[in-house]
Formats: sequence, structure tokens, C-alpha cells
Amino acid sequence: MKPDDIPEDMPEDIPENISGDDSEETVQVPNLDPAFKYEVMRNEGAGGLKYCFACGACTASCPIHEIDHGFDPRKLARMVQLGMKDEVLSSPLIWYCSACRNCEQHCPQSVEFFHILNVLKNMAAEKGYAPYAWVVQTRHLMRTGMVFRTDEAWETRRKALSLPPLQLDGEKVRELIELSGLDELIVKKRP
Amino acid sequence: MNRYALFLGCTTPRYVFQYELSSRWVLEQLGIELIDIDDFACCGFNQIDLNKETGLLLAAMNLAVAEARGLNILTLCTSCAGALAEAAKKLKADPEKREGVNNKLQTVALEYRGSIEVKHISRVLYEDIGVEKIEEAVETDLSGLRAAPHYGCHYLKPEWISAGFDEPDAPQTLHQLISATGAVPISYETSNLCCGGKTFPISRDTTLSLVNRKLNNLKTKKIDCIVLQCPTCYLMYGEMQKQINKRFGEEHEVPVLLYPQLLGLAMGGDPQTDLGLDLNAIPLDGILTRIAKSDQD
Repeated sequence: MKPDDIPEDMPEDIPENISGDDSEETVQVPNLDPAFKYEVMRNEGAGGLKYCFACGACTASCPIHEIDHGFDPRKLARMVQLGMKDEVLSSPLIWYCSACRNCEQHCPQSVEFFHILNVLKNMAAEKGYAPYAWVVQTRHLMRTGMVFRTDEAWETRRKALSLPPLQLDGEKVRELIELSGLDELIVKKRP
Repeated sequence: MNRYALFLGCTTPRYVFQYELSSRWVLEQLGIELIDIDDFACCGFNQIDLNKETGLLLAAMNLAVAEARGLNILTLCTSCAGALAEAAKKLKADPEKREGVNNKLQTVALEYRGSIEVKHISRVLYEDIGVEKIEEAVETDLSGLRAAPHYGCHYLKPEWISAGFDEPDAPQTLHQLISATGAVPISYETSNLCCGGKTFPISRDTTLSLVNRKLNNLKTKKIDCIVLQCPTCYLMYGEMQKQINKRFGEEHEVPVLLYPQLLGLAMGGDPQTDLGLDLNAIPLDGILTRIAKSDQD
């Protein structure tokens, strides 16, 4: 737009720095890892990150974000694209997702954020960031094949209600957990 | 006669006995045969968070167990349905992946060939029995009972899970199943809101705030009950109301029914022994009195 084209009724209070030269604060992020996004995208279901243009449909439809603004799918996707590996993987917020899958339902780019977040959680767990509640569930699984503590009172209760007894046996589950290395993962210490 | 392997999952048999009781009763009455299988274990829904491969192996193990008996799977939990169906889809589409999984399943003497279908109980009621047959089975008049449906996320999403029978952004099947009992399904703004159950062990405050949003929305709708179809959703909306009242200074006392309990009431089941209504956290006396009254009329 040439200066001559500016209409006369144009408001005059346009900020001087509208061109953006000195209006933005520079954020210093140490240790950016430019390979991080590729590391993530190589995983099944996560390749769509390439197509994310940060429109925010995911965040707008996220029920957890509505309660806790700290959990922000769009921001997390951006952080991965920028290579903020340590910040993302060590963040407790990545575990807040309720898995409702609204984000992928409403993404105009067909990005499956649920799967991207899953990859991030797997990487975080590798580093020892698995949340305690999930570790406890895995321990129960290895004993009983289900994720809760079981006891005699529970069995008696089922019997009283004429529900069939459950023949819980964690043996096969334990073998599969050991085969896939989850047993070693849950004893890792946080860095 | 339709037969299914009954996949109880972890939450229902441990904490929501009334869902198991009423589901067994209702399905038996409607001619669906359920086979209990001892070798089932957790579906792997949460384990994929820590290690995707473990989650897939757990799901594949359950699929293989059902396949060995020549049975499709019926689940009570929407998340079990989602996790198992997602694994079944992957393993069917990708023979290479299936081979990798089978190499590991071999150690527990199992193999999955990729033939299993996984259905949530409400889908079985809707597709195998059908709304008309359900209407015919109704003996008790529930008309006028205002019920707020809550579907549960994994009944509908990802989209392909409900493709062909329901629509994630404007779901209808639970509405129709409620209508079939004579009760009135009520529409409300937050009907598609997630219960937040998965987040509960990570951040209790987040989940309870989320549950409170729906309960507050429902305050203005003059409903008699919430009707839902997932054990975790039940625990959040049914069992957490007292905690929410204490934490946020609310006065919620909304009865919450699992769908088979509502259907069972309409079909004349015994509220206690068949449907376990006495086990629900929020007393259902109001609803029961009303039914008894309409029976006398």
C-alpha cells in the first residue's frame, strides 16, 4: 500500500512498531534439538506433525485445556517443531491428556495429536518420567493381569452379589510386559 | 442366538458391580449369550502411554484368546472397546506388524490371525437387537423420566470407531436407546464433554472441575438422571459428586444410571438383585417411587 492510498479516515493511533522490529521479546531457549521433530515423526501415527500449521483447533476443542490452560496441544506441537525436547519430555503436563480425541476429530490437517502425544509420553517414560500412578498400575498388572489392587474383601463382595469369580492370573501379562521391556522402564529414576 | 466373549476389563468388575450385574441380566433377557473367559486381562489402554508396544501386545493377547474360542468380543467399558478395536484394526491391516506381535505372543502360546470384531454393549443392543425389539421388551412405563445421555469418548472417537452406526459430533444411538425405554433423552450443551477419568490419577482437581462443568450445566435442565455407558464415566459422575460438593461448595445430587440399569428397570428387572440399583452412589429412590406409582396407575 502506497502512502497516497491510505484513506483519510484511517485512525492515526497506529502503533509505531507495527512492523514488529522492536516490539517482540526474544525468547532464549537453550539446547534446541532440530532433529527432535523428525525423531517424533518417524513413529507410527505421528507423521502428520509435518502438516500442523498451529491453527489451534486442537486446543480450542480440548476439554482439559478449558480447565487447565497449561495443557495446550497447539503449543506442545509447536514446541516439538521447534526442537524443545527437554522442556517437552520433562513437562508433567504431557500426562494431563484425558484421551478424548477431540483434537484429531477437529484437526483440519488430519494431524493425530493423540498419537503424537503418545510418542512424547513413550519418550518421556524412557527417560524415567513415567507418572507414579501409571507405574503402580503396571505393578498391579504384573501381579494380577488387571490394573487395580485386588483383595479378599473384593472377592467376597462379588460372591455376595452372585457375580462369577475372576480367575486372575498375571503370568501371561507379566511375560509380555517383560518381553517389551516395560518392567525395566517403570523402575527408571527421573533425571 | 448371538454369542459374545464378555470382556469385563478392570474397572467394571472391581468398582462398578451394578454395571456388570445389569448388563448380564439385560443381555440374557434379550437372548445374547455371554461367555466368560478366564484368560482375559487388561486391554492395555493406559499402558500405551508408557510403551506403545506393551499396550498393543496386551490388546493382541486378549484378541487372540477370544479368537481361539471363535468368539467376537463384547465390552462394557468404552475405553476397552476403543483400545481393542484399534489394535484389531492395526493388526488386520498390517500383516508385518501382526507377525511381529505373534512372534512375542508365541511365548505365551497364543497367536492372533486377525479375525475378531469388538463391540461395545450399547452397539450390540443397537445393532444386534435393535430399537424396535427393545421397545417390545419394555414392560414398565418410564415415560416422563428425563434422562441426560452421556456417551463416553471412546464409544465415538476416533471417527472410524463409530463409522456406520453413530456420529461423533452429533451422536444419536444412546438417545434412541433411552427413547426405546420410554424415558426422554434430554439435549444439553455439554453432552459431548469428556468425563476426564483418565486424568483423575494425574490431576484430581482438573478432572473434578471438568465433571463439575457438566453437573452445573445440567442444573438448569430439570433432569431426573444422567444415563451413561462406561464404568469410568460412572465413577466420575456418580461417585465423585460428594467430593465435588465439598471441594467446590456445590449441592449436586444427580442420580446416575448405567444404560443397562435403565433398560433393566423398563424390562421389569428387580432393582436390587438383577440391576444393583442399591449400589449406585446417589440414591435412586425418587426414580423407583415414580416407577412404583406408575405401575399402580
